[in-house]
Amino acid sequence: MNHTVITYILYLAASSALTIWVARTLFKNGRVFLVDVFHGNEALADSVNHLLVVGFYLINLGYVSLALKLGYSIESTRESIEALSWKVGLVLLVLGGMHFFNLYVFSRIRRRAILPDAPPPVGPDACTVVQEA
Amino acid sequence: MRTLIVLYDQRCDLCRRIQAWLISQPKYVDLAFVAAGSAEARRRLPQLDHGATMTELTVISDGGAVYRGAKAWLMCLWALREYRGWALELGSPEMMPLARRFIAWVSRNRFKFGYFSGPASKEP
Repeated sequence: MNHTVITYILYLAASSALTIWVARTLFKNGRVFLVDVFHGNEALADSVNHLLVVGFYLINLGYVSLALKLGYSIESTRESIEALSWKVGLVLLVLGGMHFFNLYVFSRIRRRAILPDAPPPVGPDACTVVQEA
Repeated sequence: MRTLIVLYDQRCDLCRRIQAWLISQPKYVDLAFVAAGSAEARRRLPQLDHGATMTELTVISDGGAVYRGAKAWLMCLWALREYRGWALELGSPEMMPLARRFIAWVSRNRFKFGYFSGPASKEP
């Protein structure tokens, strides 16, 4: 095996491990949030949580896979480390972006869930008698 | 709160246009539209100052709470499913003065807008 292939294998291993770690973090900590949003409906919360994590895996692994190709051959360990660092850095940024996007989705879902019970934004100016229609 | 009575100015195109839009929106709270100053308004709200309702939008909850001007607009938004979040944001202490000024400006110029925006849709 030459340096390029070893770099690819290391890249895939590192990226997959990072994706799994972030997805598991999201899965574990997002659940509490979703259970609250769905008013304690744990089955629904688990289902939505699972679907979100599947989407997360698909997008990230898809990106990792597409970004694999280097376009040049690697001749030394130094070049290998440099290429790995660049590629894994990109994966980390994408993961970070996706993670914050997921948090945003969670907060949106939560905000929408509390809206039906939200009180009026302003207090009344006065009171009056209302006759039936 | 189940219903909001909206006393709107029937003479202005913009108001009727906004009324049509409000009717078309999905709601958390029903909006009952009554022309400001009409016999129906006087019958349902015997103690209200109906002169004031001709100059600014007035909304009354089924519990008798009266909201005027900017507050009335926010209550209409708050009644809508799609815009309750906006109402809560605009009603915050930071945004309220801005919302109040904007609504007062639109309200003062409401007959001009009607003139520029062409004929209003017929009343439902």
